[in-house]
Amino acid sequence: MVDTISDPSDDALLDVEGLRKYFPIHAGLSRRVVANVRAVEDVSFAIPRGKTLSLVGESGCGKSTTSRAVMRALDVTGGSIRFRRQSGEVVDIAGLSRAQMKPLRSEIQMVFQDPFSSLNPRMTVADIIGEPLLVNGIDKRQDRVDRVAELMRRVGLPAQFMQRFPHAFSGGQRQRIGIARALALNPSLMVLDEPVSALDVSVQAQVLNLLLDLQDELALTYLFVAHDLSVVKHISDQVAVMYLGSIVELADTCALFDRPLHPYTEALLSAVPIPNPRKRSTRVLLRGEVGSPIKPPPGCPFHPRCAYAQDRCRAEVPRLERTAEGRQVRCHRAHELDLSGVGSMERPV
Amino acid sequence: MVEELTVKHFEITETARGPKQMNGAPVLSVRDLRTHFFQDEGVTKAVDGVSFDVCPGQTVGIVGESGCGKSVTSLSILRIVDPPGRIVSGKILLRREGGGGVTDIAALPANSRALRDIRGGEIGLVFQEPMSSLSPVHTIGSQLMEAIRLHTHLHESAVRERAIDMLRQVGIPQPEQRIDSYAAQLSGGLRQRAMIAIALAGQPRLLIADEPTTALDVTTQAQILELLRSIQEETGMAVALITHDIGVIAEMCDYVIIMYLGRVVEQGPVDQIFFSPKHPYTEALLRSVPNVHSEPKTRLPALAGSVPHPLHRPEGCPFHPRCARFMPGTCERSQPRLTEVGPDQRASCFLYPGADHG
Repeated sequence: MVDTISDPSDDALLDVEGLRKYFPIHAGLSRRVVANVRAVEDVSFAIPRGKTLSLVGESGCGKSTTSRAVMRALDVTGGSIRFRRQSGEVVDIAGLSRAQMKPLRSEIQMVFQDPFSSLNPRMTVADIIGEPLLVNGIDKRQDRVDRVAELMRRVGLPAQFMQRFPHAFSGGQRQRIGIARALALNPSLMVLDEPVSALDVSVQAQVLNLLLDLQDELALTYLFVAHDLSVVKHISDQVAVMYLGSIVELADTCALFDRPLHPYTEALLSAVPIPNPRKRSTRVLLRGEVGSPIKPPPGCPFHPRCAYAQDRCRAEVPRLERTAEGRQVRCHRAHELDLSGVGSMERPV
Repeated sequence: MVEELTVKHFEITETARGPKQMNGAPVLSVRDLRTHFFQDEGVTKAVDGVSFDVCPGQTVGIVGESGCGKSVTSLSILRIVDPPGRIVSGKILLRREGGGGVTDIAALPANSRALRDIRGGEIGLVFQEPMSSLSPVHTIGSQLMEAIRLHTHLHESAVRERAIDMLRQVGIPQPEQRIDSYAAQLSGGLRQRAMIAIALAGQPRLLIADEPTTALDVTTQAQILELLRSIQEETGMAVALITHDIGVIAEMCDYVIIMYLGRVVEQGPVDQIFFSPKHPYTEALLRSVPNVHSEPKTRLPALAGSVPHPLHRPEGCPFHPRCARFMPGTCERSQPRLTEVGPDQRASCFLYPGADHG
């Protein structure tokens, strides 16, 4: 019962529409649902093949939950996740069962944040990278070894190290192992959840370069989850800013960084420390804390922290508006505000 | 056993003074500090000959990648390095308040009263992870009040009031209620503010902040950095900021020390480090940092290789296997010395005359 939707005008590899994910809170003897944590509330985006969309926001904004829902590591509460298979068929994976999901698993792969805890310390690198091959029916040992060697070379690891255990590798090399494992089954979509945030600065650049190269060579599509806006600027074609479970702004990378339309985007951008001591920024300091996803503030969820909030923002939930340039923004005052982006500056060194 | 050193002795030691000399003599002078870890596998020289000064009102940044020894340096200053690590040589000179002379913290007996007075008293410490460095079974208030009792002579009735005051000072809303909260009931940002309040309880003249914002969101990070800046402006305390984040260094610091595998590779005023770096590692590190102003989807000029395990530090200059300007026959033979490369700026690299003497 795979739900097939044919929409020839749609060239997106992944098209998420109205995604919702609630986590129920149970209480009492009857385990009655007393409330819901609205982790993801109405999220929509599409990623064209070979492109990168990044989800950014503070912790608790729902960016990781969204990425896990796209992986179908979670059951979703509502909405659709349309994924174009390598066969060309478009499938809504939001409603698929575990068994129905299985054949799609090879096409959507994930790279995790922490290369120290996401690799089994008792397995050799050959077994870690080869396991998805074994699971997917590549039974001949020599075939697997050949493929593992090829994958290791592709991610910049010496293939002669394949019999070693993860502890023998540095953080950057371990992340390369994680990437090789994700690539093993030729996926078309890679979900990257904070893939460089646990790495050293010098190694972070290497892994970002590797991800850019792999995307070029293999026409991979990335859904990138990160909190570091400098990294996001480097890797993304499009950026979606999330706040309390919703996308508040979505735009092409340069447009979003240069001319944000949502006050929250402006505040996020101005909080980024700039590696230039002559440019100690004038901050739009955000006051207070993120609201509760159990009982979000009425009206615009961002209004208690927003410098531009008016009466309307406190009462009315803003709708997601699409601008002429193909941008999306969820703010009553988007058309009248003149917000500042990161601007331009000379780069030291 | 407090080692009293004359000011004169102080002056003739190899100095690494920051730009804010007008702020008076350094609060803290670290001289040729070596902290090694003695393990079954061998000796890890986590800190191997580090010298720097921190002056009142100055923020000194210690920056480097994992294994560079930046955290062990901060732990050494407070003498809280866990075995098998220990300080093998060097001086940690703390200038005491009100002309009280100079104390070498490295020479104080462990568990001595003098040492305990310095910890949390004259030197405050803020850790990276407030969740794991605050007690989960004591309220924020009781931990803060403990610190106040230890380091001030306030009457018991005034302690709680003082604690509430301090929570307010670090920007915790409704401090009268929050004082009775447990760490787990606070958000990451509020926890870090509580941690800062505890570190400030003894009115320290030097605050060591070890990755104080690394576990926080960027918006919360901006708030905490702003808080540290305003406290410093008010009290004139010195800050030693340990971080791997080049952006935070640029925002906060007056003087920067760049470490690699236990050694200082370069140190200087922040402007010179960013606009005229002399050591190839500094230069490569700064270039490899992604920047919100860069062009999307472009390759970064990455440094080759990764930081070697501290147990296997390369011979000679520890950076030579990754260095773009490696000179065979020189760099792998002996360790370069820190040498003057600009006004108040030093680098340890054979590219500069003076690095190979001694």
